[in-house]
Amino acid sequence: MSGAVKRALGTIAGARSGDKGGDANLGVWVRSQEAYEWLNGFLTTEKLKELLPEAGEVSRYELPNLRALNFVLHGLLGDGVASSTRFDPQAKALGEWLRGREVEIPEELL
Amino acid sequence: MIRIGNASGFYGDRLSAMREQLEGGHLDVLTGDYLAELTMLILGRDRMKDSGLGYAKTFLRQMEDCLALALDQGVKIVVNAGGLNPEGLARKLDAKVGYVTGDDLKARFPEALTANAYLGAWEIAECLNQGAQVVVTGRVTDASLVVGPAAAHFGWARDDWDRLAGATVAGHVLECGTQATGGNYSFFTEIDATRPGFPIAEIDEDGSCLITKHAGTGGAVTVDTVTAQLLYEIGAPEYLGPDVTTHFDTIRLTSDERGVRISGTKGSPPPDTLKVCLNTLGGFRNSTTFVLTGLDVGAKAELVKRQLHDAIGEESLTWTLARTDHADADTEERASALLHVTIKTADPKRAKGFSRAAIELALASYPGFHVTAPPSDGTPFGVYKAAYVHRDEVSAKAVLL
Repeated sequence: MSGAVKRALGTIAGARSGDKGGDANLGVWVRSQEAYEWLNGFLTTEKLKELLPEAGEVSRYELPNLRALNFVLHGLLGDGVASSTRFDPQAKALGEWLRGREVEIPEELL
Repeated sequence: MIRIGNASGFYGDRLSAMREQLEGGHLDVLTGDYLAELTMLILGRDRMKDSGLGYAKTFLRQMEDCLALALDQGVKIVVNAGGLNPEGLARKLDAKVGYVTGDDLKARFPEALTANAYLGAWEIAECLNQGAQVVVTGRVTDASLVVGPAAAHFGWARDDWDRLAGATVAGHVLECGTQATGGNYSFFTEIDATRPGFPIAEIDEDGSCLITKHAGTGGAVTVDTVTAQLLYEIGAPEYLGPDVTTHFDTIRLTSDERGVRISGTKGSPPPDTLKVCLNTLGGFRNSTTFVLTGLDVGAKAELVKRQLHDAIGEESLTWTLARTDHADADTEERASALLHVTIKTADPKRAKGFSRAAIELALASYPGFHVTAPPSDGTPFGVYKAAYVHRDEVSAKAVLL
């Protein structure tokens, strides 16, 4: 195992996010089995909240068949898109915000 | 195999998609999703103005352009463009039309502006079995637009859980149009994302499918573009629907020279309850954005906040300061921060008064005062809530005209 390098998570991970009423969902996926094993260990609920400090209560689901994790960020959008005063009321760019955060990524995954 | 295309992912999607899908190659069925939680509110406000409205008007324009072409090619059209008024829309179409009704639960939820249960696939299948060339529905789950035609075509039973789950996955991939074919895609720099083609699912009798698009269209269908769409607006891996519970952790994606194969999907019985989309009018909102340039950005924000609070009170105002400014900037825009303020109030007069109060500051506030867009008179806003009712309380019906 070689070292880790600080890079944007989006260097190796894709994401898509959206709204369900007042909740936002954020799916994150990677493109190899090795990368999924790392992601699954790395991107815990606590880590997600650290990277996206605006998140409150978070549920986390594993989808190993898609090499993906799905997060539900409860209540992020208040009473839903038509009412939310949030900057991105439908959470469309939440995933791209996460991809832009810099994290320690193992060198062999880059 | 049945070949089902999609030509719309929301009310406002590419108008020419219907024609592109019909002219681009062979299809058996062309579907379109026009409804989102927010759309129901928009249609609800249309209906308040004119009880003959409440459907997606853009679909009618597409039919004026394309209905003859679809009938000529024998392509069936299945859409949820009926919104709050599927019968009203159905009666405007010159073809053998079926519509699905029974989703409207306003009588049960009188305080709501709109109250619609998410219906499933079986009424759509019934319309098609009775020979409908066009099926319009109100609030059905987005995936039902694909599951219904597949179930009718193969004669599936109501407890063919794995088949229904497979078709639900195909429907979930298709329901947002080009989001499956390279639109809004994290790795967009790796493909030609200029004008993605709309997606197609070739569904087999066992419910598995191939996701593809017409030859010569832009975008891409890869394991990554399909994965992205599978992750859109989902919660737990047990994806609950009115017809089947679909287990997203059983889906297998494999690359194919024409797109992506989806197989392995397992289904189980659906819950006893149906989800209901409730929109109520929450009050009125208004907003504006102050531009704060150069020095003392924090103090400038404090001044304008204090002034607006003095003028109309602090209650129900939400402020956010986006520090987009840079010190010693070489463009005016890079020197500027954005201070957003929104008011949400039950009182329309206060929402309107907000505009006046903000504008009256123009010569009396921080140096460099300007706003990105002047505030309006204020607009009503909706509050979305989900409710659940037992499925026996909802009587969905297929009607042939």
